[in-house]
Amino acid sequence: MNGWIGKILRVNLSTSKVSTEALDPSIARDYIGARGLGTKIMTDEVDPKVDPLSPENKLIFVPGPLTGTYAPSGGRYNVVTKGALTGAIAASNSGGVWGPELKFAGYDALIVEGAAPKPVYLWIRNETVEIRDAAAVWGKTVPDTTDAIRAETDDDAKVACIGPAGENRVMFACIMNDLHRAAGRSGPGAVMGSKNLKAVAVVGTGAVSCADPKTFESAVMKARDKIQKHPVGGTGLRLYGTNVLTNILNQVGGYPTKNFQDAYFPTADKIGGESLAATLLQRPKGCFSCIISCGRVTKVSNKKYAGEGEGPEYETAWGFGGDCYVDDLDAITKANYLCNEYGMDAITMAATVACAMELYEMGLITLKDTGGIALEWGNAEAMVEVTRLTGTGEGFGKRLGVGSYRLADSCGHPELSMSVKKQEIPAYDARAVQGIGLNYATANGGAAHVRGYTISPEVLGVPMKVDKDTIEGKPALVILFQNLTAALDSTGACLFTTFGIGADELAEMLSTLTGVEYTTAEFMKCGDRIWNLERQWNLNAGLSAKDDALPPRLLNEPIKTGASKGMLSRLPEMLPTYYELRGWDEYGVPTPAKLGELGLTA
Amino acid sequence: MAKMLMISADKCTGCHNCELACSMSHEGAFRPDATRVHVYTWEREGFSVPMMCQHCRDAPCIPVCTPHALTRDSASGWVDLDQAKCIGCKMCVQACPFGNAIWDEQTHKVFKCDYCDGDPACAKFCPTQAIEWVDDLTATRKRKRAFSEKFKNAFSE
Amino acid sequence: MKVQYFAVLRDVTGKKEEDWQQREATVGDLLRDLVARYGRAFERWVIKDGDLWDLVIVLVNGHDVRHLQRFNTPLAPADTVVIFPPVGGG
Repeated sequence: MNGWIGKILRVNLSTSKVSTEALDPSIARDYIGARGLGTKIMTDEVDPKVDPLSPENKLIFVPGPLTGTYAPSGGRYNVVTKGALTGAIAASNSGGVWGPELKFAGYDALIVEGAAPKPVYLWIRNETVEIRDAAAVWGKTVPDTTDAIRAETDDDAKVACIGPAGENRVMFACIMNDLHRAAGRSGPGAVMGSKNLKAVAVVGTGAVSCADPKTFESAVMKARDKIQKHPVGGTGLRLYGTNVLTNILNQVGGYPTKNFQDAYFPTADKIGGESLAATLLQRPKGCFSCIISCGRVTKVSNKKYAGEGEGPEYETAWGFGGDCYVDDLDAITKANYLCNEYGMDAITMAATVACAMELYEMGLITLKDTGGIALEWGNAEAMVEVTRLTGTGEGFGKRLGVGSYRLADSCGHPELSMSVKKQEIPAYDARAVQGIGLNYATANGGAAHVRGYTISPEVLGVPMKVDKDTIEGKPALVILFQNLTAALDSTGACLFTTFGIGADELAEMLSTLTGVEYTTAEFMKCGDRIWNLERQWNLNAGLSAKDDALPPRLLNEPIKTGASKGMLSRLPEMLPTYYELRGWDEYGVPTPAKLGELGLTA
Repeated sequence: MAKMLMISADKCTGCHNCELACSMSHEGAFRPDATRVHVYTWEREGFSVPMMCQHCRDAPCIPVCTPHALTRDSASGWVDLDQAKCIGCKMCVQACPFGNAIWDEQTHKVFKCDYCDGDPACAKFCPTQAIEWVDDLTATRKRKRAFSEKFKNAFSE
Repeated sequence: MKVQYFAVLRDVTGKKEEDWQQREATVGDLLRDLVARYGRAFERWVIKDGDLWDLVIVLVNGHDVRHLQRFNTPLAPADTVVIFPPVGGG
């Protein structure tokens, strides 16, 4: 096979059995890889009703066919599992350099099953796979774990691991790789912790081969050229990072503040990408085969919040910034570092703190509950401290570790969790941008912006500008973005390549690399197929149309200040059309006709 | 004036595109382990450095090579490796002070940068010009000038 | 009127914002005068083929001129105009 390796590694931690099996070429063709392949394996092998933290859940590390080649910014991998936070199918996407290493070691996917009786880590060196005792590294932060495991295996080993948060089963614990990249959302780190798996260390000395090197190279050069000529992919992201969005969202009045009580932050400029570039930024960083380099290598010298690492990205800067009403970039960056070191999803962590701040404002959480920490809006020190406590699993941090939904529910007000399917909404207000709200409500893994990033057309104007405040045409637009993204995610490419290229170029690279012909239409159909497979899995897990909802605040409480003052989300008007265009019935269930069209069964 | 591969590590983002271009052009597959250029990343500091054979004027690898697989090309001035003559003794691997002669466990061969016959793939694929194929004299002078500008800026404030 | 600059436009103009004293009837008039002041370095981010570049974000009181009248969007002295070069993220 080309692009794909043709082999899947399976490790059962309950029995310590290590085995390999062939990758079925027809499955590879229909689901591509990464998100699609992982979802297909979950569909075939895992009962959707399992407890996410039980040995019956599986944890699948899976790169795509483009991963490990010089397809521009094409080096990603997914972690697919049943999300601890959401109870829904979860495909967490990460960059860095770990994914390609698994390909070079000779595998298209690593399926981890069962649970080890005591802490272990996996050491994969090409065909040699060992399950090793992790007692010496259990309890260590992500950077210290990486150092220690390299000392026992190989200096150049690529390490994906959990921090103390995953070990303690913080519901939104993530899996970090290469120190600073995260398979972030929905709690894959908690699943890994429940399997007593601390890390997966990989060295791969093999190759990813190419069906037609000359035509692949030309397809790649064409794609690179388009991305490099595009102002966003070509220079904007390298200069300012994703945090450049802070001022834009704020100026259009869609920057949520104080747990979405409002959507305009007067001092946003202090924490945006421009400020970051002028103060904490050391240099840009790129993932494997990346030509965009949106990564931010940063350093905080301020003794109070000293540290170094990568980030903050836009969502993190928003969450620890406007959402908590903090405008101290040093503090925000420190909270970001803590999330990376302890292994926690920054979006959920920040949004949970914001929710806790609102509960504190209402007197439902008191100083006694927080152990003396005044969780007031804008209290940067408090925000950093409770983040740290969540990482270490101490004090009030234990209560935050369940995420905003369960926290708010425990106070009798689940509606104050700004989440969908128990996953926290990120940095774009659904009242100010109609399409993204529909995407939040319908994304299969819970609220997530990247699943159908209509901010691009609705706010930025890429690839074309649509009015953010209208609902006409939004269901179709959201579906288009969701399907394209599902297919793109499955190739191993980075979403940011879409600042420059689209389905045509991705299909061409995929075809010339693998030797399997994908037309643009077939490529998009794979995306539709993967989306519907995810939907089915969720329905079988017990989710339903009632979970395709937004918090009442976004439907009933108009934005108070800023350019989108007075707006509400019109989700109820868009959802029926969305179901219809998806080929689903009025309960959001894929019809037999739709499933048949995609080669799926009920 | 000859050409050289100029490394500007401060521009390197750790993307490994150079390794992929090198292995594809020499080995016909994507295999970073078997490349002539390697990138080392220090994750905590976020600093990356690409490294390849520097075609030294006084190359320690040449005298230790008993089958004379490593020789100086008199026209280009580059250090050539003739795989057909190489016996795989790895003396060059030990002799190179930079570690730029690499032993590949799979093919049992030594790999070393050959400047791609004058059109280096790594420089073509590097997205940030951290590796550039430039005239050696002007390149080093440009580097000196670029750094001295920092003094100018510091004193102008 | 107040004009605010973001991202690379801050480097191009040397400012984050300014109180623009000249009277401008439309967005097009304002942009042409800004180009006259800041030159080609500014123009390349804002104008393509004589028209408003599709990728530039110009807001008048928070509203995107691509949904108003683009160059012909009227301006009043109390308006705030915000200009972003093409940016992105996720």
